[in-house]
Amino acid sequence: MNVKSLIRRNYNKQPEVDFPDYKSSIFRAPKNKKILFPSSDSEILGPIFNKNIIGELDNNLTLNFSKNKNSPLGHKIIVYGTVHDQFSNPIEGALIEIWQANSAGKYLHNNDKNSAPIDPNFAGCGRCLTTPRGYYEFLTIQPGPYPYPNRGIEWRPMHIHFSIFGKSFGQRLITQMYFEGDPLIKYCPMVNSIADEKAKKSLIGALDTSRSNTQNLLAYKFDIVLRGVKQTYFENRKEGL
Amino acid sequence: MSISKENLDETPFQTAGPFLHIGCMPNAINIKKLYQNDLGETPFKNKNVSELITIEGSVFDGNGIALDDVMLETWQCDEKGEFKEDTGFARFIPNNLTKKFILKTVKPGPYKGFDGKIHSPHISLSISSRGLNMTLNTRIYFESDELKNDPLLSIIKNRNVNSLIAKKIKNRSYLFNIFLQGEEETIFLDI
Repeated sequence: MNVKSLIRRNYNKQPEVDFPDYKSSIFRAPKNKKILFPSSDSEILGPIFNKNIIGELDNNLTLNFSKNKNSPLGHKIIVYGTVHDQFSNPIEGALIEIWQANSAGKYLHNNDKNSAPIDPNFAGCGRCLTTPRGYYEFLTIQPGPYPYPNRGIEWRPMHIHFSIFGKSFGQRLITQMYFEGDPLIKYCPMVNSIADEKAKKSLIGALDTSRSNTQNLLAYKFDIVLRGVKQTYFENRKEGL
Repeated sequence: MSISKENLDETPFQTAGPFLHIGCMPNAINIKKLYQNDLGETPFKNKNVSELITIEGSVFDGNGIALDDVMLETWQCDEKGEFKEDTGFARFIPNNLTKKFILKTVKPGPYKGFDGKIHSPHISLSISSRGLNMTLNTRIYFESDELKNDPLLSIIKNRNVNSLIAKKIKNRSYLFNIFLQGEEETIFLDI
């Protein structure tokens, strides 16, 4: 028999869900313990997205919403990296969707009450599928930091939201990438909801100086790891063998 | 037995935040022309409306307020119990006036899993939003089905199992409310 299971999630390296420093969690974080159960087909399998859904400019946020090819304001960056599973296997065809504020720290969204200006040439929305080696790349604009109401006014560090689908519904991940050197990272309650320092650091995109110095943009590298799927074979050995 | 040992840590989650629609459902908030359709608008494209069931409900926070800034995603097999990688995924949000979500989908069939066991019909559901540092996972079962031998339901003891079971409100129509906190808190799963 061939039994598949997702590697158990290590909650020591994940954020605390019930984390009152992040005020919005107070009335939303469930209080009871989650129920652990053996993986079934529902968690091991998952939707796979076809490359025909991806448009030519979907991973180019500097052009996918621009009017008359006008550039959005701000400096251009490349955000790139790989998607692997926990066994270091590259994941091909992983769907990565990103969203972010513009260079002034404003989202193109009615619920964003920040007084910063919107940028008519920037939606802050992109997506792509990873290559056979698990590689992805986005061309975008450096998002600005912005104030938001939490314990009084606090500031979000510069960040890009990432949503990732691997091959299994149980690999589904939603996270945020931060930027190396941003002084706001250490004050952010969402970052600090992760206790483990190494795990926290894994969310910080590293400045790639060699790439930045050869192109007219800054490059940041952000590698992503999704859960591994373990296969266990039980052979029914005959007696006496 | 498999011998390989995982050597990398899973990337940590962070909250999807209040603006997740920009990246996940831009058309729903009127950012048009970027993507032709939002992903998961129709989980089973080739089905006739008459073949579908409706599941509706709200997501309530600890104050009993029905939320409209959450995103729900579902994944399921078809009526024959078969998973197909290009169908069965849906993504939706509550209506901002009624605060209700409506999922129109195929009623899944039971399936025999790779574990050799029969799994009662269910839909996997995940919830992401502002205030949730990690995506929550649960399942929707159906009250009219045979449930007592289901491999998951049968291991749940002394908990609010009914929170995982959609109530039939009329023919082909079910109610499934989700409670993030409180006496009726929904059972969430460590999948």
